[in-house]
Amino acid sequence: MPLHLVTELAGLENAKPQIFSVAGRSIGLIRSNGTVYAVRNVCPHKRAPVCRGTLKGTMLPSDPNTFVFGLENQVLQCPWHGWEFDLETGRTLCAGETKKLTLYPVTIKDDEVYVDL
Amino acid sequence: MLETTTERPARAREKIIDADVHPWVNGDIQGLKKYLSRDWWAHFDGRYTLPNHWLRPPLARASSNRIDAMTPSGGEPGSDPIFMRDEHLDKHNISHAVLSSIQAGKLAALPNASEAVALATAFNEYFLNEFVAVDPRYKLAMVVAAHDPQAAASEIRRIGDLRGVVAVYMPLLNIPMGQKHYYPIYEAAEQAGLPILIHPTGTEGGFPTAVAFAGGAPSTYIERHTNFPEIGMSAISSLVFEGVFYRFPRLKLLAAEFGFSWLPHLLWRMDQNWRQFRKEVPWVKEEPSATVLDHVRFTSQPIEEPEKPEYLHVILEMIHADRTLLFSTDYPHWDNDFPSHTLSGVSPELRRRIFFENAAELFNLD
Repeated sequence: MPLHLVTELAGLENAKPQIFSVAGRSIGLIRSNGTVYAVRNVCPHKRAPVCRGTLKGTMLPSDPNTFVFGLENQVLQCPWHGWEFDLETGRTLCAGETKKLTLYPVTIKDDEVYVDL
Repeated sequence: MLETTTERPARAREKIIDADVHPWVNGDIQGLKKYLSRDWWAHFDGRYTLPNHWLRPPLARASSNRIDAMTPSGGEPGSDPIFMRDEHLDKHNISHAVLSSIQAGKLAALPNASEAVALATAFNEYFLNEFVAVDPRYKLAMVVAAHDPQAAASEIRRIGDLRGVVAVYMPLLNIPMGQKHYYPIYEAAEQAGLPILIHPTGTEGGFPTAVAFAGGAPSTYIERHTNFPEIGMSAISSLVFEGVFYRFPRLKLLAAEFGFSWLPHLLWRMDQNWRQFRKEVPWVKEEPSATVLDHVRFTSQPIEEPEKPEYLHVILEMIHADRTLLFSTDYPHWDNDFPSHTLSGVSPELRRRIFFENAAELFNLD
């Protein structure tokens, strides 16, 4: 699969998804915690532009009436129905859910960001 | 020629547990006198009638009780354990009849917690002595007054392990069922191995302490009766999303007489919302529908009457009726169902689950 040069690393603001057209596809690049993620800009739930959502953390599974915050800046929340996706896996935090984000490999070379489509 | 038979048809010999039967105490609090202390009797001092909702059934005597089930001595239907034994248990081949007193359900309308607690104990003593002791087929869903959850828990610890007590009937207050108010009751019920039983009490929407209807107070009985399922729906969503079944993993709920055809919608909507708003309730770690199917059971009466009978069979599949549905008659109320005319089109295996095994598992009966 070909590598596509998308943008300069310095142009990616931390924890703020940016959307690019790459080989005719809408792709979101998300720089967070020292990593750049490339995400197909389509929510697997109802086809929403998921990369126009919010990068954030979430509440981890916990005991009743207790909150444990985690995965800060690793969770992409869709702007429509609020589905949350872990950028490391593309999966939601809902056990048993099989719908997941499409993630693409990212290569950083000479401070430029390449996506493998 | 007179037709005689020495063998009853197979259906008549099937084992049946009736999960919803309603005994009665003639005279309300006057009838409980024997089971109230002298001090409490003196306290009630003429206030012997439990409150009725203003919107009564448009039936004879404006009562839910069938006039043809009145006792030979003229008592209220359900008030004579011998008559009920002959007319109901024997006639319909009922192996176990789970008694929940809708009359005691009116305790939800009382604004005085101590009075409700004292009357709950009196009701329990009455039914243990006047029914359960008369025929071992009678099983009691002991009533608790949730006004005072610590006292209710004490009542469960007092009699919950008695032979013949198979559930805790908790008339609902206007506090969602998943909230901490009720936790002492759930803890005691779980320890006693008893399911919580909820049932329309007839007080819904009619008294400040009783659970309210969504959308406001109905103005007719037909609305009131039609809207009962919403009470069951809100109780279940509250229990699940508040994490009650994670706090009390062995706790079970029987939602009696709230219907069941609405359950597919509730399950799907709960799951859908969980995928969207899980982070609001991160203690809910599996699909809510799975929790409901594991912990909540439903009764069959009043059996739904859809446009086409086959629709009902699809719904039975959707709600996993082989695990979740318990047969019930609601004797001696006007809308009671009986075995010979209920779910006659289902497979023998499913019928056995619904008419006996699901209840046997829930109530720990043979």
